[in-house]
Amino acid sequence: MSLTEKYPQEVKKILAKYPPEQKRSAVMPLLYLAQRQEGYATRAAMQDIADLLAITPTDVASIIGFYTLFHDEKEGRYRMQVCTDLPCALRGADQFLQELCTNLQVQVGQTSEDDLVTIEEVKCLAGCDKAPMFQLQGENGIEYHENMTVDKTLELIEALRKSGKEVK
Amino acid sequence: MPKQLVSLIIDGQSVSVPAGTLIVDAAKQVGIDIPVFCYHPKMEPVGMCRMCLVEVGRPVIDRVSGQPVIEGGKPKIQFGAKLETACTTPVSEDMQVVGMSEKARTGRKEIVEFLLTSHPLDCPVCDKGGECPLQNLTMAHGSSESRFKFDDKQHQKKHVPLGDLIWLDRERCIQCARCIRFQGEIVGDAVLDFFRRGRATDIVTYSEPGFDSIFSSNTTDICPVGALTTADFRFGARPWEMNSAASICTHCPVGCNTTLNIRREARSDGNMVIKRIMPRQNEQVNEIWLCDKGRFAHHFSASPDRLAKPLVRTGELVTESSWEEALNLAARSLVEAKQDFIVLAGGRLANEDLFNLKALADGLGGKAALYTHMGGGYLTTLAGVSMDTNFGEMGAGTSILVAASDLYNEAPLWYLRIKQAAARGATLILAGARETKLEKYAAHVIRYAYGDEAQTIKSMQKSKAGQAAAEALASAQNLVVLYGSDGLGLEGSASLAEACAGLLDMTGHAGKPGSGLIGVWPHANDQGAWEMGFQPVADLAAEFKNKLVYIAACDPVGDDPALAEALKSARFVIVQELFQTETTRLANVVLPAQAFTEREGSFTSGERRVQRFYPALPAFGETRPDFSITASLAQKAGLELEGTSALLIMNKIASKYKSFEGLSYARLAEVREQWPLVGRGDIYYGGAIYANTQGLGTRLALLEAGSLPGTKPVESKRPSESELLAIPVCKIYDRGVTVLPSTLLHPHIGDASVSLHPDTAVRFKVQAGSTAQLTVNGTAYQVKVLVDEKVPASVALLPRSMGIPINTPATISLKAA
Ligand code: SF4
Ligand code: SF4
Ligand code: FES
Ligand code: FES
Repeated sequence: MSLTEKYPQEVKKILAKYPPEQKRSAVMPLLYLAQRQEGYATRAAMQDIADLLAITPTDVASIIGFYTLFHDEKEGRYRMQVCTDLPCALRGADQFLQELCTNLQVQVGQTSEDDLVTIEEVKCLAGCDKAPMFQLQGENGIEYHENMTVDKTLELIEALRKSGKEVK
Repeated sequence: MPKQLVSLIIDGQSVSVPAGTLIVDAAKQVGIDIPVFCYHPKMEPVGMCRMCLVEVGRPVIDRVSGQPVIEGGKPKIQFGAKLETACTTPVSEDMQVVGMSEKARTGRKEIVEFLLTSHPLDCPVCDKGGECPLQNLTMAHGSSESRFKFDDKQHQKKHVPLGDLIWLDRERCIQCARCIRFQGEIVGDAVLDFFRRGRATDIVTYSEPGFDSIFSSNTTDICPVGALTTADFRFGARPWEMNSAASICTHCPVGCNTTLNIRREARSDGNMVIKRIMPRQNEQVNEIWLCDKGRFAHHFSASPDRLAKPLVRTGELVTESSWEEALNLAARSLVEAKQDFIVLAGGRLANEDLFNLKALADGLGGKAALYTHMGGGYLTTLAGVSMDTNFGEMGAGTSILVAASDLYNEAPLWYLRIKQAAARGATLILAGARETKLEKYAAHVIRYAYGDEAQTIKSMQKSKAGQAAAEALASAQNLVVLYGSDGLGLEGSASLAEACAGLLDMTGHAGKPGSGLIGVWPHANDQGAWEMGFQPVADLAAEFKNKLVYIAACDPVGDDPALAEALKSARFVIVQELFQTETTRLANVVLPAQAFTEREGSFTSGERRVQRFYPALPAFGETRPDFSITASLAQKAGLELEGTSALLIMNKIASKYKSFEGLSYARLAEVREQWPLVGRGDIYYGGAIYANTQGLGTRLALLEAGSLPGTKPVESKRPSESELLAIPVCKIYDRGVTVLPSTLLHPHIGDASVSLHPDTAVRFKVQAGSTAQLTVNGTAYQVKVLVDEKVPASVALLPRSMGIPINTPATISLKAA
């Protein structure tokens, strides 16, 4: 199913926001829409977006590559994106990330064994003063978690795991 | 309107340049080289690499008066706290630029050091080594030792195919985006882009089928490192081992200027071989670019099918012979034939060869014909373009009409340059029966049904789309009309030419400088043949009957097996060729010719520019240049022709043909300084392109146009319901004798195919991708079926030179195989 077939209303709404001669600007909201269900944009979705906006699939892919918000591969149900940029690093984000990974027995960029969370390292998320902080990207959108500790984070992951089971 | 001049000082030198000029270009104009990596004079600046850092000072402006503050009689200059990028900063009045200071030098040194932290420095095995901007600029500006920990070096994939002609070495890429911008800005096909950020940045293509642009190889010239290499030249030779010779591309009528790089090669028994073809700058022809066909389809001159010695037939037996024997036999037959002979010349021949062939035909009373499927050329000699037309300078005020031509496939560099002209404001009008790639840039598109070409041009005002186009044509200051043979044979194209010439006449553009008619010919030197009075013949078979046939540089039997019978009915056949072909197999005498890479000569491009090419390789076997073979033959038949020197023949051409008046080899070899400056020590600026030191060529003069002939109506073929009309079209990579020997192009050449509209495919019960049986003129062929919405209904697009003879639209039958 193409993107327009899947989300006819949303696509229309997004495209309506931009003047027709600058419709390529709609690439980001469309990508965000495309990865709603699976957490990543498929090659087919990239082609759909390219066709919708009269750009090349390579143009679309480069946006995915540039922003850590977009993904072209299936990973965990949630992506935990920890900022380790300089201000956060000064507040211990590096160490936080390392300990978190040790606890989860994964490395940065990897996914927990049960495919629940993928731990990623990203650049500034504009929450510098509340580090360690991360954003949680999942099917319900994006949530910020600030002033975090490893323990609090592990509790959060446990809660996610439970809620996931209930849904099933 | 000339732009206002701005004066400034760069490293102590005063410079005056037009407003808007970038510091880096202004410096270049007075011989100051500011190092760059990402900047390229043909593309918009992006300021990504920071290599061009300079100190910039500007006059201090008094806040109250708004006037520059004067100190000691001079404006007070204030330098910024930080270095600025010379490639993105336009000049301004009284600016002072310092690139030689310690501060600027340190800035560059640090940038080089940063770049090298992620660079493998594998120069000894890198194709670019020896002509590498990074290597050169590291020598000039870099530090002599590394402070970077070796273990922290990134290791990336070193052999990534971006398409099947271009390879990427990820480690070597310095992320200047020149390749990406070339594809996006210049070609208009954004199939390359960055992926990820920072040190993880990668060049990728997500397009299908990858980096498959017909201009892809140009990125290897402008890549400032050895990250991009061609499949043809990769690991082939070091730049300093090769010699170079100036040449001209022979694959299409554009006439791109090239440099052949040659080297002695152990793998080729110690013979000299062409290692690669590089663009040679000619801003009026190809600028600094080449298409991939021009660059890669050079292997034919070393093809194993090359003829090394003359061949003579006695009955069924064909034997190698001496030149003396072969020429004697041919000359005797020529004398015996009296005036009953025809010379059939191919558009691959040089001007000098054509001149001698024509002189032989005229001198001995025979007929001279051009072997082509496209007519109307004599009109380009009357109403063609002259001195002042240059696609590179066209913009607002110029209208360009392209009729019945798919320039992307037929004349790639014209496609590229016309696209650019349209971006600069020229009005582009496309008249075609099907959608072609250039249409994206057209202001007006006129769609007609195959068969209505000439009529459409003549009665343009009658359609709605045509009306706006007609107005744009009439009101244009300059009008350039290109016509081709998409879907047309000899008659159809001749009548289209007449309609186009009529249009130039009617709008008052005929004979005016800056305007004119251009034929998109199937061969590199068809224009030269037309200028010398060659004409095509409609019915070759009839012309062959009982005559002596002297064929040079064409393979009529290979193109159309039906002509074999006709050639057998000739009284004697002389063929002058590079290779064994289907035609040479039927010859009584075969005379082996030199390839253009082995001799000198000149071609006339479709824009009527005469350009010289020079010998690069020693002659193959016992081959001789075409002009000298013809001269020897003429001499033995009692006619004196110049056969020793191409230069002397050019002098004769100049005195015989009005349009060539004043031309000489010396004139053709003249050069002027061109902008941007390329090919000097500063390869980082323009790329590895060669400077033009051996001739920019000269345009032919416009003849007194007089009155142009009117148009004869042509009957257009209309298929009936049960029939299918096959339309000949052009495919850039075909099975032509000069293309096929380049094996690396085979995946692009593919098999004989036919393209149909989905409805047509359904009607004839054939499926996309399947093999079908196509019957044309009573002969059946196997073809692959391609289905494409863009193909007009009820026609079948059949590419020329793909093994199925199709010169002119023909009814065919088609069924599943
Ligand atoms: S591959 Fe070459 S041209 Fe392309 S970004 Fe890298 S260094 Fe620049
Ligand atoms: S555009 Fe034509 S002349 Fe130029 S390189 Fe390509 S084939 Fe050769
Ligand atoms: S540096 Fe981490 S949020 Fe800004
Ligand atoms: S930033 Fe000026 S050349 Fe790259």
